[in-house]
Amino acid sequence: MEAENISVVKVRDVLMVTVPPDPDDETISALQAQVLQAMEQYQVKGLVLDISTVETLDSFFARTVVETVQMVALMGGRTVVAGMRPSVAITATQFGLTLGNALTALDVDRALYMVSDRHQEKSHGTKPRA
Amino acid sequence: MVLSQGLDRAVAIRSEEDIVAARKVARHAAEALGFGITDVTRIVTSTSALARNIFLYAGSGIMQWRRLEVGTGGIELKFEDNGPGIADIKQAMEGGRSTRSGLGGGLLGVQRLMDEMEINSQVGKGTIVTVRKWLTR
Amino acid sequence: MMKDNVKSKGQILSGEGVDYKAIFQAVPSAVRVVDTDFNVIIANPPMAALSGQSLEASVGRKCFDTFKGERCHTKDCPLTRVQKTKTTMKAEVVKERQDGTKLICVCLAAPLFNREGMLTGMVESFEDITKQKQAEALRATSSYTRSLIEASLDPLVTIGADGKIMDVNKATEQVTGVSRQRLIGTDFSNYFTEPEKAREGYKKVFSEGSVTDYPLTIRHTSERTTDVLYNAAVYKDEAEKVQGVFAAARDITERKKTEEALAKQTEIIQRQAREILEISTPVMQVWEGVLVAPLIGTLDSQRTQQFMERLLERIVESNSPMALVDVTGVPTIDTQTAQHLIDTISAVRLLGAQVILTGIRPAIAQTLVHLGVDLSGITTRSSLSGGLLVAMDSLGLQVATSKRTNGKEA
Repeated sequence: MEAENISVVKVRDVLMVTVPPDPDDETISALQAQVLQAMEQYQVKGLVLDISTVETLDSFFARTVVETVQMVALMGGRTVVAGMRPSVAITATQFGLTLGNALTALDVDRALYMVSDRHQEKSHGTKPRA
Repeated sequence: MVLSQGLDRAVAIRSEEDIVAARKVARHAAEALGFGITDVTRIVTSTSALARNIFLYAGSGIMQWRRLEVGTGGIELKFEDNGPGIADIKQAMEGGRSTRSGLGGGLLGVQRLMDEMEINSQVGKGTIVTVRKWLTR
Repeated sequence: MMKDNVKSKGQILSGEGVDYKAIFQAVPSAVRVVDTDFNVIIANPPMAALSGQSLEASVGRKCFDTFKGERCHTKDCPLTRVQKTKTTMKAEVVKERQDGTKLICVCLAAPLFNREGMLTGMVESFEDITKQKQAEALRATSSYTRSLIEASLDPLVTIGADGKIMDVNKATEQVTGVSRQRLIGTDFSNYFTEPEKAREGYKKVFSEGSVTDYPLTIRHTSERTTDVLYNAAVYKDEAEKVQGVFAAARDITERKKTEEALAKQTEIIQRQAREILEISTPVMQVWEGVLVAPLIGTLDSQRTQQFMERLLERIVESNSPMALVDVTGVPTIDTQTAQHLIDTISAVRLLGAQVILTGIRPAIAQTLVHLGVDLSGITTRSSLSGGLLVAMDSLGLQVATSKRTNGKEA
């Protein structure tokens, strides 16, 4: 199966990647490669990984995400994983998968805020009230 | 409840693409049998892990599934290969607690996700891992 | 013969010229004469035939040796009674022939007197009523059996090899609403809601010899139906030839009603269990972005898993990054449930939200620590209000006392 098109989009000073519902290993590896290439290409503060449509999180995916977070950090960026589904969160937890120290957010909105805001070093996405 | 036509009961595992195929088959089967979304995810994740094991350690193998009729009903998936086999099953299970983050899961993880798991393995001959999940109502 | 020997009335009455011997031989009944010592003096051919003992073999021998019976040597022996009472006796006796077969006979015995009026012997005659007795017994048994069949509350029916009803009892008439005459000769399967199924059951009896608990529904002419279970078997005649099928129906209407009531009850209980779960593990939004879930009562593995799913769904649905889980109302938990609680906290973190655990009681604190898992990442407070402060602080909210409280100046 060919790698599905992973779109890496630059939104202001943040990279946005939307992961398809059931990516195969090739797609996941391609994702990592494209992210790193984009990190080099653009001046961005970090990466938002949108997994709101992802239905399965297996060990290869989890490992690749953790590696990507580490690689992006080495290149000076912050990564936030956004929109994990409850069924995926529960299964991953019971299965024993972790995303390491990766930051997580309830949705892309909060994730964008988290990446660009360097003052708040929290592990969850929260917006201060106006 | 109608099981969709063309639903394979057996999937050959020979490549990484086949792992995805196995996941799809497991998903369709679990959904058709009436499992809730979280249980479907558990079944698919277990399938992915066990199919990946076949590919990684044996090179090739086969996944089969069948509907369980007893009681409330459920699903049984069988992962079979003619690989090197597991010498120490206990050790293999605990290997799931690897320090390499993201690799967590493995056989131990599958056991936590599924209701029943049986491992039959002979060194030099092969391995059969059978897992079952029951519907709660 | 009589023509040749026409005698005068007087001669006949006096006994002359009448060939009594010939008459004795010709009498159609079995007759024999026995002396007072029970020796057989004479017997006629029918007697010989009945007893199976020839004339030569009988004469001179004891009566109880040549044609023995149950009453021989007892005070009920007709000959003994006749001897005693000197009157005629009639009795039904069981006799045994020479070959051992038993007979039932009507025995008539009369005394023989000589000219002086002395008892010289007894005359016995026998009539074989064995066949009549058997027929009577059969009729009695039949009528007994028949009365049982009719008394049975279960509908009984016999069906021939052609599938047609041969016989029914009253209960069958009642359950079908059709009279016996109209039922007999008709197709057995006509009276069911699923005739094909009835026919299959009937075929099964023939192929397997019997069938038990075969479910069918009988249809009454009034459209009323009766759920039954059939027990049926083939029955054979004495020559082991199959005559037909004998089927008995058991009314399970009551049982079905009970089963349905039970199923309804179970459904109610399950629904109530779900409702209890939702009431006892509510997830409420108290502020924008803050959920509170007070857990109350005993938490078992299943309840906790269900709670976990519900909490995560609500977090995503309400977009709340803060979830306060208060366990003040939970006295103890087992290790499996504790693990689920830990998993809940981890899973919520993966979503991008945070759990603040409040109100941990000593027993739960023990269980959590004994689990040996890393608890450093879990935020806890002793009270719900304490947890609420953490949540609000996280969201950048502050509680400020307003200047006006109860009209008092700050």
